[in-house]
Amino acid sequence: MNAADLRYPQKTLVADYTRAATGVILCGAPLLLLDVNRWLAALLLAGLALFALFLVRTALRHRTRYALSPETLCADGPGGALVEWNRLDRLKLSYFSTKRDRSDGWMQLSVGSTGGRLIKVDSALEGFHDIVERAAQAAEATGAPLSDATRANLRSMGIVVVGQEETV
Amino acid sequence: MLQFIIRRVLLMIPTLFVISALVYFIIDLPPGDCVTSQIEELLARGDPDAHARAAELRDLYGLNHPLWLRYLEWVGGIFRWDFGLSCQDTVPVADLISERMMLTIIMETCTIAFIWIVSFVIGVYAATHQYKWGDYVASFIGFIGLSIPNFLLALVLLYVGKVYFGLSIGGLMDPEYIDKPLSWGKVVSVLEHLIIPVIVIGMSGTAGMIRRLRANLLDELQKQYVVTGRAKGLPPMRLLVKYPLRHAINPFVADIGGLLPDVISGSVIVSVVLSLPTTGPMLLSALKTQDVNLAATFLLFVAVLTVIGMLISDLALAALDPRIRFGATSEK
Repeated sequence: MNAADLRYPQKTLVADYTRAATGVILCGAPLLLLDVNRWLAALLLAGLALFALFLVRTALRHRTRYALSPETLCADGPGGALVEWNRLDRLKLSYFSTKRDRSDGWMQLSVGSTGGRLIKVDSALEGFHDIVERAAQAAEATGAPLSDATRANLRSMGIVVVGQEETV
Repeated sequence: MLQFIIRRVLLMIPTLFVISALVYFIIDLPPGDCVTSQIEELLARGDPDAHARAAELRDLYGLNHPLWLRYLEWVGGIFRWDFGLSCQDTVPVADLISERMMLTIIMETCTIAFIWIVSFVIGVYAATHQYKWGDYVASFIGFIGLSIPNFLLALVLLYVGKVYFGLSIGGLMDPEYIDKPLSWGKVVSVLEHLIIPVIVIGMSGTAGMIRRLRANLLDELQKQYVVTGRAKGLPPMRLLVKYPLRHAINPFVADIGGLLPDVISGSVIVSVVLSLPTTGPMLLSALKTQDVNLAATFLLFVAVLTVIGMLISDLALAALDPRIRFGATSEK
């Protein structure tokens, strides 16, 4: 298996930039244009900070290239990180949805190797399934602990980690 | 998680705008306005200046402007904590609601804490002691709570308190503290008077929660992994807390959002019956007199609390159990 270069698709990045910009405008415009009560101003400032943080995160994602190889996963960009599969000690696969019936959501994978920083990727990333599959194989080999939710989410993607079946 | 928070917050903002518009327009829908009843009173008394006074009041409250313009002024004022003038006593809405809003928030917070704590303890006890006397007592309390309307329970407690114990249950503080600045004595008095309203308002919510938690936990306790754990000799408390309780608690957390509007709407009539100085009676009177600014402000606060409750419940659920559900698919 050769190293694969993976990036977030343009469509996803544009959607995230739009969300961040909408939030910044909705929280920032009243602060600039109106005489806002101080408590509401604090609330709006908190919202503004949250959306600004999201804008920065989206920009970082935009500049980051992920390289998946049989030995490593490398996030190459500002604040990059490296995960060595044979030293994997953290794997978490979460599922989020904004709908009440929790349909149409997205997955988030967090992986980290001993002493290294975490790499977090969303299911919007090209080749997400390959990364999860490789991470699951690595977890099987290293015996990294998996939570109930992670195991259930892996199963929903058709991936079973041997030795990590539900036990009491 | 950041992505999740951003998406949820972005959904909240237009939701609140739509709610505020709907509330404002619907309150104004019935024929007449808040001046109508005041003028009818003046006319009945034979006041010759009634119509001139009506025009004056309509001008003062801005009722001559189109509805959309009044709505925009009201929404714009929210950012300055200025909700316009109330037709009751011609005072700013912000001055009218501040103390009542604070007492309402204290009362609803205590009620929700009461519902969670009591239902959690009783629900877990009832599930782990199925068909024992404790379970029957808990089920009995549950059914009583579900079947008795809150206002009826309030009336019964008022009667029992007065006739058998000589206690005056109404109000949220002793009369000597009404309209007085905040003091330690006033806080103690409010806390003493909170007990009955909290029990009355929280009764049906507690009963419902007990039933749901009991049913969910019983489902989990009958699963094979629990039987296996028991057979392997796991201590009962560890076996209960480590897996079944975690799974059974999800609907409990998911209910946080729905609980808030239930408690607030349930407390309106109870507040009238128990003469509580909360927002309930004032909202009722504002709706009856078509005091649009006052009623819309109250309802907007309820909407804000509901939306925040939903957000907290969704965030807690996402943190507690970020698991895909059967039938749901991941996108992208």
